[in-house]
Amino acid sequence: MSTATIALLGQPNSGKSTLFNALTGLRQHVGNWPGKTVEKKEGSFTHNGMEYRVADLPGSYSLSANSDEEVITRDYIASGDADVVCILADSSQLQRSLFMLADYAGIDVPCFLLLNMSDVAKDQGKTIDAKAIEERLGIPVIPFSATDTRSYDVFYEAMGRAINNKTRLNLNDLKKQYESIKGYQEICDLIPENALPGYSSMWAAVKVIEGDRVVSAKLKNAVGAETFAKIEEIKKNTQGAVATGGCKFAWIDDVLDKAVVSGEKKVTLSRLDRIYTSRVWGKPAVILTVLLGLIASFIPALPLMGVGSAVIAIKEPVMNALYSAGCPEVIVLVIGDVIIQSFSYIFKMLGFVFGVTLVFGLLEEAGVMARISYVFDNTMGKLGLQGKSVMPFLVSFGCTMGGAAGARVIDNWGQKVLTIALAWAVPCGAAWATIPMLASIFFGPGAVGVIVAILLTMLVHMWITAKVFGGKLVKVEDRYGMIMELPPYHKPKWGSLFRYVFGRTKETFVRVTKVILLVCGLFWLLSYSPSGNTSVLYRIGVAIEPVTRFFGMPWQLFLSYIASAVGKEGAIGVISALYNGGSLGTAFVDSMNGAARAANFNEMMLANVTKPEALAFIFAMTFNMPCVVALAATYQETHSAKWTARIVLYYTVMSLILAFIAYHIGLLIW
Amino acid sequence: MKELSGLPVDSTCVIASLDGDQRFISRITSIGLTPGCRVNVIKNDGNRPMLIYSRDTMIALNRNECKGIMVKEVTA
Repeated sequence: MSTATIALLGQPNSGKSTLFNALTGLRQHVGNWPGKTVEKKEGSFTHNGMEYRVADLPGSYSLSANSDEEVITRDYIASGDADVVCILADSSQLQRSLFMLADYAGIDVPCFLLLNMSDVAKDQGKTIDAKAIEERLGIPVIPFSATDTRSYDVFYEAMGRAINNKTRLNLNDLKKQYESIKGYQEICDLIPENALPGYSSMWAAVKVIEGDRVVSAKLKNAVGAETFAKIEEIKKNTQGAVATGGCKFAWIDDVLDKAVVSGEKKVTLSRLDRIYTSRVWGKPAVILTVLLGLIASFIPALPLMGVGSAVIAIKEPVMNALYSAGCPEVIVLVIGDVIIQSFSYIFKMLGFVFGVTLVFGLLEEAGVMARISYVFDNTMGKLGLQGKSVMPFLVSFGCTMGGAAGARVIDNWGQKVLTIALAWAVPCGAAWATIPMLASIFFGPGAVGVIVAILLTMLVHMWITAKVFGGKLVKVEDRYGMIMELPPYHKPKWGSLFRYVFGRTKETFVRVTKVILLVCGLFWLLSYSPSGNTSVLYRIGVAIEPVTRFFGMPWQLFLSYIASAVGKEGAIGVISALYNGGSLGTAFVDSMNGAARAANFNEMMLANVTKPEALAFIFAMTFNMPCVVALAATYQETHSAKWTARIVLYYTVMSLILAFIAYHIGLLIW
Repeated sequence: MKELSGLPVDSTCVIASLDGDQRFISRITSIGLTPGCRVNVIKNDGNRPMLIYSRDTMIALNRNECKGIMVKEVTA
C-alpha cells in the first residue's frame, strides 16, 4: 500500500487536535521528539486504499524561535518528511489566525489551508469566499467544520489535490510587502537560495530581521562570518519583527480583501466569563469547576472501576480452585496476589483515567481550561507553571493518578512534568483517610494541628520541589507572562473526543500494566514469607532498624512506610499485622482490598508507638511516593523513565527528611 | 501616546508602538497585536491580566507584558 505523510500545523485553539483525533482515532501514539523535551503526536488513517501518516505538530502562535516547540515544528516541516502540510486557521478570527500561514510562507513544502470552525463564523454572521482566497494563495483552501461529516470528504479531496499537484503558496505579493522594509532586499540578496535547506532566502531574511537566534546561527555557518557580518550591519536599521509582522498582516488583509464579509458588533463578556474574570469570584469559580469536574469524572469511571472490583471477586475462587487442583502454593500466590491483584488496580485506574481524560478533555475543548489558565496565571506563574496546573493539583487531593492523568492538558512537556512532580506533594484521598485517624489516636483534638501542619508542609514542599526541578524543566528564559487567546466557548465534538479518550485509555493500559505488574511483583517477592515472618523486607527492616529509628521509625513502622509507597490504603493494615505478629504481604493485600483494621488497633498503637514516632510516620507516609498507580500514570504522561525515577527518588528522600524533622520536633515537645 | 494598561474599560485605541526584547515583539505580533491595529479594552482591574479584544479575538495579557505596548486612544 502506498503511503503519504501529512503534517497538521495551526495555532492553539485552531481545532488541530480535534481534526487529528477525528482522522486517526485509536491509531495514534504520543511520545517525545528524539532527545527533546517536546511531545510528538503521530497517528495514521487509510482513505481510498492509501495509508496516511499524520503528524500533529505542537501548537504555537508562530514559527519563530521563541520555544523548542516552534524550532522543532519548522525544522520537521523543512526536512521534507511530510509530503504535505495542512495549515489550520480559525474562520471566526481569520485575519489573526492566518499569521501562521504568513509565517510558514517560504518553507518549501506543498500545503493546503483549512478554514476551520466555519460553523462558528457563520453563526457570527460572517461569510467567507474560500474560492477567492484559493485563487490568491495558489493552494487548496477549504471551509471546514469538524462536526459536519461532509466536511471530511472536502478535506480528503483537498489533501489529495495538494499532494498530487504539489501545490505551493504564491509568494509574490508577500515578497512585495517585505520589499517595502528598508534593507530587506539587500539582506535577501546576500542569502543564496537554499542556504538553509528547505527554507527560501525570503524566509531566512525575514527571520534574520526578526532577530531569530537559531536561524542567525545557522546562516552564519552557511554564508560565512564575513557575509553574515554585512547582514547584521544592514539588519540594525530595520525595525525587526514589528516591521515584518506589519508586512504579514498587510498581506493577510490583501488576501482577505472582499473575501470576508462580517457585520460589526459590540463585544461583551458572556455571563460565565464575567464570573471567571471577576476579581472576587474567579478563583472560587475555578475551584468549584474543577471539583465538579472531579466528581463528574467518577460517572464515566464507574463501569471500569466495577470491572476492577469484579476482578477481585474472582480472586478467591480462582485461588481455591488452583489449590484444590494441587497447584504449588507459590504459583497460586503469584497468580492471586500479584497478577489478579494488579489487574484489579489497573482496571480501577483505567476507569479513573478514562473519566478524568473525558471530563477534563471536555473542559479543554469547550474553552473552559483557557479561563482556568487566565484565573491562576499569576499564582502558578510564580512556580514556573501555567494557570492550568491548578487543575491537576486540585484533582490530586482526591487521587494523584487522576492529577497526573489530568496534567495532559498542559501543552508544554517541561511544565507538565513539573506539574506532576508538584502534584505528588498533595496528600491524596487515601492519605486523608489515614492522617486524621492516626492523629486522633495519638493527639486527640491536637489532630487538627497535625492536619494544618501537613497542609503547610505541602505548600513548602511544592515550593521547594519547584525550585529543585524547575530550573531543568522550565528554563528561566522560557518563563514569561501570559499572552494568550481566550477562545470563544465551543460545543464539544463528541465523536472526536471519545476517539481521543478511548485511544489514550488503551495506550495507558498497555504502558501501565508493565509498571504495575513489575512493582507489585517485586513488592510481593520481597514480602513473601513461606513460614512465619521470614520475608526479605522483614529481614532488611529489622537489620536496618538502628538507621530507621533515626527517622523515628521502628521496623514495623518502616515496613508500613515502604508498603505505603505501593498503596497508602495498605499502610494501616500492615502496621496492624506487624504489631500483631501477622505477615506483611497478606496484611497489605487484604487491607488494599478493604479489610477492616484490628479491633484493638488503637490500644495496640498506643502501647507500642510513641507520639514522636507516630508524628514521624504520619509525615513519612503522607509525603512518600503516592502509590504504584500514580507512579504508572506519571510514567505514562511524562514518557520518561528517567524523570519518573528522579521524582520517586526525590520523594523518598524528602519523606525521610520530613519524618526526621517531625520526629525530632516531637521529641522536643513530648 | 499612553501605555495600554492605563486605559479604562470600554475604551478603544490603536497600537502606536511596541517596545521590548526580541522575544516579546515576536510573541506579541504573532498573536496579532501590531502597530496600527485597533484594540478594545474589555477588562482592566488591579493586578490581574488585562483582557483586550482585537482582530476578532479576546486576548489575555499579563500586566508586565503590556508595559511595552503604547497606544493612541480613539473615540469610537
